[in-house]
Amino acid sequence: MPDTADILRLESLQVHFPIRGGFFDRVLGRPAGAVRAVDGIDLNVGQGEIVALVGESGSGKTTVGRVITKLAQPTGGRLLFEGRDMTSERGSSTLRPYRRRVQMIFQDAYQALNPRHTVFDIVAEPLRSLRLVENHSQLTERVSEALAAAGLNPSGDFFPRFPHELSGGQRQRVVIAGALAVKPELIVADEPVSMLDVSIRAQILQVLVDLRDKHHMALLFITHDLPLAWLIADRIAVLYLGRLVEIGTADQITFNPRHPYTVALRNATPQIRGDADRSKLPALQGEVPSAARVPKGCRFHPRCPLAFDRCKEEEPPALEVGPQHMSACWLTK
Amino acid sequence: MSENTVQYSKRSRERAIKDFLRQFLGHGGAQLGIVCLIFFFVLAAVPNILVGPLQTAINATGDFLAPPSSQHLLGTDEVGRDVLNLVVHGARISLTIALLATVISLIVGTTVGMTSGYFGGWVDVWLMRITDFFFVMPSFVLALVITPVVLEVMGRGGDILGFRPSLFVIIVVIGMTSWAFVARIVRSQTLSLKERTFVDRARVVGSSDFSIMVQHILPNLVPQIAANGALVVSGAIYIETSLSFLGLGDPLQPSWGTLLSLAQRAGAASAGAWWYLGAPGLCALTVALSFVLIGNALDDTFNPRRRVIP
Repeated sequence: MPDTADILRLESLQVHFPIRGGFFDRVLGRPAGAVRAVDGIDLNVGQGEIVALVGESGSGKTTVGRVITKLAQPTGGRLLFEGRDMTSERGSSTLRPYRRRVQMIFQDAYQALNPRHTVFDIVAEPLRSLRLVENHSQLTERVSEALAAAGLNPSGDFFPRFPHELSGGQRQRVVIAGALAVKPELIVADEPVSMLDVSIRAQILQVLVDLRDKHHMALLFITHDLPLAWLIADRIAVLYLGRLVEIGTADQITFNPRHPYTVALRNATPQIRGDADRSKLPALQGEVPSAARVPKGCRFHPRCPLAFDRCKEEEPPALEVGPQHMSACWLTK
Repeated sequence: MSENTVQYSKRSRERAIKDFLRQFLGHGGAQLGIVCLIFFFVLAAVPNILVGPLQTAINATGDFLAPPSSQHLLGTDEVGRDVLNLVVHGARISLTIALLATVISLIVGTTVGMTSGYFGGWVDVWLMRITDFFFVMPSFVLALVITPVVLEVMGRGGDILGFRPSLFVIIVVIGMTSWAFVARIVRSQTLSLKERTFVDRARVVGSSDFSIMVQHILPNLVPQIAANGALVVSGAIYIETSLSFLGLGDPLQPSWGTLLSLAQRAGAASAGAWWYLGAPGLCALTVALSFVLIGNALDDTFNPRRRVIP
């Protein structure tokens, strides 16, 4: 399964969005502050590995995906792809080799497809702009191959259609086909199934897992759904307010969570059968604090049922629980 | 195997166009505007067949300032030319000037607005300051300054791209002074379009800024450009009429504004020659109004709340 070589590495990645203070704030010299969307994340994805990034809304998981796909610029830390520093690379022609290898699947397939383009044009766009084909017959071949791989058969039927003529599941498959057409080595999938009916989710997930199995493609799967992450991922990283609170293999995180937040997430999952080893921790109270006002100390302490004095003062580092398993909690040991 | 879907898709596109046309043509204002415009376009297309060649002081046939009669349906002017003949020939000049000025205005306005909205930052700031400058620049003053310079350089008799210099100046001046409004509207729409996910996707799949603008943003701007283009045409007709009225027109290629100017100088108002002032005035008013009606109807039809495509 996962190789030893990392394809992607994030080193204390940081994305702060500055808040422009009002006129009086500036006159009075009050500090403007920043929204700390991503606040120091270390994460690696191995070749052919599926890593799930789990977090609530506002945890910064989408921003991480946008940084990796170069849609957002990090304010600190580094983004390494196969050991090459990609942090400050910019411009569509400079990034072309990178884009050939890293693609993205968007959450909202309704929004991600230009309503005025046909399916053929949508899937052909990356092949044309990344200069991956030499002639039209090659283009047609790659497009129909990608559509078939995404489960749209017979692919020729879909060429002339417009997005508004497709169902939600078909649109998501078109988005996936667009990413696949490039034959990338890493795909960032930002909540690829959250907008879909449950009955279609399994099919789409199967397409993604098949890609890894057949083409050895690595996948960073961004989701808010812990059971889904367990189903698909090799490793799970749990994000809270711009920081990783726990990272480990899918089984470690799901069946042996060590951070109170992960435990709470797991307990919040509705289950059909009664689960005997359900932890006794009460459900989480309150909302995720604003990323513009990150609490001092451990950023989870205001909502943590186990918080004690040290949590209010010092931010816990990632502490080792076991092999490959880290948890950022003072109670880890 | 794909025959079926090709058919299906074509039909659905046709259906979308039909829906659009039905909605658009169901608009009372649009119907009136289109009928008027067709009438004037026919006048402009074949003036020689309808009223014979343009009359000049040399080949004029009537009395001076004669009221409408069976021979001269709209009377005559101060040198005995048939006013109907002048007005029909004027349609061609007026419409050509207005439409060409609109083309200039839409091209410049869309380019500036889209570039400004898409790139943002200092590009946006500077382009918008330039736009503001053209916004407040009075077309009369600009025309008054440019015309003599161009005439001096070219000579009165020369022609630029097939136009006599003073007409060419009027086209350029109207184009230059009316694009700012288009640029503002295009910019605001671009600001919203560039945040759409399909633009993010285009970036991730490696499309350049230029191709994102041309393939993703421009097609989605078409409704706004079309609706405002019609309004720009009517504005251009007014400006053309006013400029010519002030004497910047070309007496050898008279537009409606030039005719109004000639009528005013001939003292048509005090002489009671209502036909001389009324005919070109009413024509300019009707055409401008038609374009406004069509523009408003387009705007209504493209209204995002009623638009089929999201």
